[in-house]
Amino acid sequence: MHFDRREFLRKSLGAALGGVSLYSALGNLKLMAAATSNYSFSDYKALVCVFLYGGNDSLNMIVPYDATHYAQYRSLRSQIALAQSTVQANALNATPSDGGQYGAHPALGDQTAAGGNAGLRALFNAGKAAIVANVGTLIQPITGAQFRAGSVPVPPSLFSHADQQPQWQTARPDDLTAGGWGGRVSDLLASANTGSLPMVVSTSNNNVFERGNTVSPYCVDPGGVSQMSYLGGGEAWIATGNDPDSAAAYKALIAQGTQAHVLERAFADKSRLAVANADLLIAALNPVPPLPALRTTFPASDLGQQLQMVAQMIRVRATLGMSRQVFFVSAGNYDTHSDQLSNQQDNLSELSQALSAFYSATAELGVANGVTAFTASDFGRSFTSNSTGTDHGWGGHHFVVGGAVHGGSFYGTMPSLALNTNQNPNANPDDTGYGQIVPTTSVDQYAATLASWFGVGASDLATIFPNLGRFATANLGFV
Amino acid sequence: MGMFGGVWRTVFVCVFACMAGAAHAGVDSAAGMISPGPWISPSRADAARFLAQATFGASDADIAHLQRVGYLGWINEQVAATVSLEKPYLDWDSPSGDNNNQNPRREIWTINALGAPDPSRSGFPGNAHVDQLRQRMAFALSEIFVVSSQNSGLSYQQWALGSFYDVLAKDAFANYRTLLEDVTKHPAMGNYLSMIQNRKADASLNIHPDENYAREVLQLFSIGLNQLNADGTRQLDGNGQPLPTYDQTTVRGFAAVFTGWNYTNVGCGPSTYNCCDADHYFDWGCAAIAYNSPRWQLPMQPIEAWHDSTSDKQLLQYPGVALANGVLVHGGDAQAEMTAALDNIFHHPNVGPFLGRQLIQRLVTSNPSPAYVARVAAAFNDNGSGVRGDLLAVLKAILLDAEARSIPPGMADSYGKLREPIIKFTHLWRAMAARSSSGRIDNFNTYPQLQDWIGQAPLASGSVFNFFSPFFVQPGEPAQRGLKAPEFQILTDMYALNTPDRLYHEIFCNYSGSGDCWAADDPGTIQNNIQRDAALAMSNPGQLLDQYNLLFLSGQMSGYMRGIILDRINKITSGNRGASAGMFRVQHALYLILNSPEYSIQK
Repeated sequence: MHFDRREFLRKSLGAALGGVSLYSALGNLKLMAAATSNYSFSDYKALVCVFLYGGNDSLNMIVPYDATHYAQYRSLRSQIALAQSTVQANALNATPSDGGQYGAHPALGDQTAAGGNAGLRALFNAGKAAIVANVGTLIQPITGAQFRAGSVPVPPSLFSHADQQPQWQTARPDDLTAGGWGGRVSDLLASANTGSLPMVVSTSNNNVFERGNTVSPYCVDPGGVSQMSYLGGGEAWIATGNDPDSAAAYKALIAQGTQAHVLERAFADKSRLAVANADLLIAALNPVPPLPALRTTFPASDLGQQLQMVAQMIRVRATLGMSRQVFFVSAGNYDTHSDQLSNQQDNLSELSQALSAFYSATAELGVANGVTAFTASDFGRSFTSNSTGTDHGWGGHHFVVGGAVHGGSFYGTMPSLALNTNQNPNANPDDTGYGQIVPTTSVDQYAATLASWFGVGASDLATIFPNLGRFATANLGFV
Repeated sequence: MGMFGGVWRTVFVCVFACMAGAAHAGVDSAAGMISPGPWISPSRADAARFLAQATFGASDADIAHLQRVGYLGWINEQVAATVSLEKPYLDWDSPSGDNNNQNPRREIWTINALGAPDPSRSGFPGNAHVDQLRQRMAFALSEIFVVSSQNSGLSYQQWALGSFYDVLAKDAFANYRTLLEDVTKHPAMGNYLSMIQNRKADASLNIHPDENYAREVLQLFSIGLNQLNADGTRQLDGNGQPLPTYDQTTVRGFAAVFTGWNYTNVGCGPSTYNCCDADHYFDWGCAAIAYNSPRWQLPMQPIEAWHDSTSDKQLLQYPGVALANGVLVHGGDAQAEMTAALDNIFHHPNVGPFLGRQLIQRLVTSNPSPAYVARVAAAFNDNGSGVRGDLLAVLKAILLDAEARSIPPGMADSYGKLREPIIKFTHLWRAMAARSSSGRIDNFNTYPQLQDWIGQAPLASGSVFNFFSPFFVQPGEPAQRGLKAPEFQILTDMYALNTPDRLYHEIFCNYSGSGDCWAADDPGTIQNNIQRDAALAMSNPGQLLDQYNLLFLSGQMSGYMRGIILDRINKITSGNRGASAGMFRVQHALYLILNSPEYSIQK
């Protein structure tokens, strides 16, 4: 059959813009994506974004213990500094750019929380995790002095949760309408999958990261997926279950092309898709005979349960027809304005235990080299404190975890920890002037490195990350 | 003109403004655009439609009553009605103050939202509440002035959250300036956005004032990030870029203003615990006290020793700002500076369009025309008697506007909003005269928690940005057409399955006389009065659907939808369901209606 790609696109887009029925036909969206890219893969890879909502204080997550740097850190963080001996007892066996000796927050080595998972510090020291220093949203490279002078453009609405969350997720602070970079990558790669389940999956909320032009996040309940009660699942003892008349009536109400209102169509689209995707996933996760349980024990925490669901979906990738998948999981409560010492202990313990279990599960499934998880967050937090907590910042350190990661090393440039004083207000070249760190690595570089590993070609990388060329290194080399 | 002055003025202004707007939009007939006004007795369908916007769902009795008294008469009744509060119920439930699980707070929220009898008040069960409009407004405000039980500092503090909600209810028809200060000083907000125990700078310790509340009060509670025109559209610079309303210097200025506030010392006694005075400003002991303590309910108090009285503070700058260049010169005490700072916010020209647009979205439509926003903003700026910030005038302007009372022809296929999931439940229970035997309503005390079932619960947002953003865009056709669709942010695949399942449970399990499901006949389970309509469902199912069309869809149900549901319930007969066939028909009709696209979009 003759298939003119350009003609198809013109007709489809015309119909989408002018009419309604074709646009809501999700199958056509997939067809459009297929028409615009020709990626195919013989291997399996997954990217897992672990978003830490609220802005993680990475300055108390990765802490120096050598005398010089510790003294600086101590004076920056007068009220909430970790003890030197604690940091040293949790040493990270690598030397970052500033030549200092660094350790991890003790929560990253804490094994008491659940099931004997070694934790993020052990993964780092075993070469399965890397730390990328001082990453943040940027329009172009900038120094502290340039920021203070206002001589170089910076992302709009710095230090604001609602703006910096999407900017981290889009890597496009210069385009407030942009979709997420996970979504843009998936627009391109989705056609490589043979299955019809969406390539982008969230076990958390609706998110910008996974929104592209044609893809949007499929949100899965980490507790599991079951058939709708009215269609035969759930509380079947009420005896409506498996009633074909009920199913037919419900499906007729949400049938495509039967709504006269744009929002009704959007509601019907989502209702239909939720049922169809649930059918696919239920079938894949519940084969006959049933899959044996994973040997890896996941923590009962929210993040642990989310990553367990991700592991289970990765496990049935072949059934689902997936060769590339993007996952989004998240944890909250990172906005530690007050009572940080206690809150961050809980947060980082959850993170460390969940990610560590997840790595073990990918190893158990034989896909450790194909699965890369990475952290992201609204922003880092301020050098300065508010007595028991810290304020919104800018740059921050991040973890990348997986078998393919060139782990056990620091990447990027550690920020100065010098304290600005009245006598020497510019002692710290990386300080905005009020305690936030100016990033030395952009989200673009961090994301593009991951996308490149994921299989996005060089020319497409430049399209997905149009500002990448402004930064010295397109590939940071951590994976 | 007496008490009606403001509203008559609104209506007359509206007639002309709307006609102009209609002409501008290319609509040739102004007739359909004119507000019916308070003097016309609305039809049943119009009354039902009004109640969908102004209450937690229409009931037969309320439709009939509204027809009798008219829109304005109804609003005036609502304003005069006794305020339903949460605190008395919490005190009644737990006199010792040791209940910290938030269940009673969800119970009283539901009781007040339904206007159901309250077992904590005298006269039960003959004491049903009637302040629907106030409760609906309080809920809308709770999605703008967000505090949440999901915050670790508040997860055990149901008195803090309950009394915060009471502030929203009490101030629902008050002045915005009053509301802003009450919210700012409430210890729930103080904890949530960490203004409580905020302190002046200390350079030697590298400590700055906490910017959390300063940032969000500007971004979310008052003016937003961008300078707005009077109609809510963004002002643009010469390059087409939006103009920011403030910068980091302003945030620091407000952060320094909001220093020196701690828990109240009311009820404080040295023999029992430390007071939150200057010497014990940061003492955990001054807060970690009984859940029902006044500390968690009364306004925070100033502690001058921790207030920044020495620095000048950059506040908002805008045309006509009272402070020279928007700078608050140092020297004021904590209260004086707060007063000046909140006045500085209150008079910013953004407040009317920023708040007005969001309240329209919460009650009426996701995509109001700029002219509609402008009319509501004008009511905020001047209630007709020269008063700025009158929330009752704002609410009347929203509900009595021509664009609220009828669908403009040019918006026929885009007008309205996705109903919030929690309001589907309250609507079901109100329409179906649901009651529990004890008066408690613990249907929302679910496991997992309600917000994990349906995406929202009272004061349980995952962040200060509410369950959904007023700017959320649903991918696909709505995005293509430039439409906002806030509530779609929580219509994820997961909630698109879980919310129908939760409705299924309430409809098929919890009806009066039910023994079908676990807990269906618990004294605290509210049960739909399915039997009320069972006989009609058998004798005249078409009439049943007509009745539900009015109650749930304000008469907007299509023939297509009616045909599907009628066909479904006609297949249920006494032959295949015995004596319960009538009830079963009612249940299927309710389930299909509540999960239908047509009902889910309130129009």
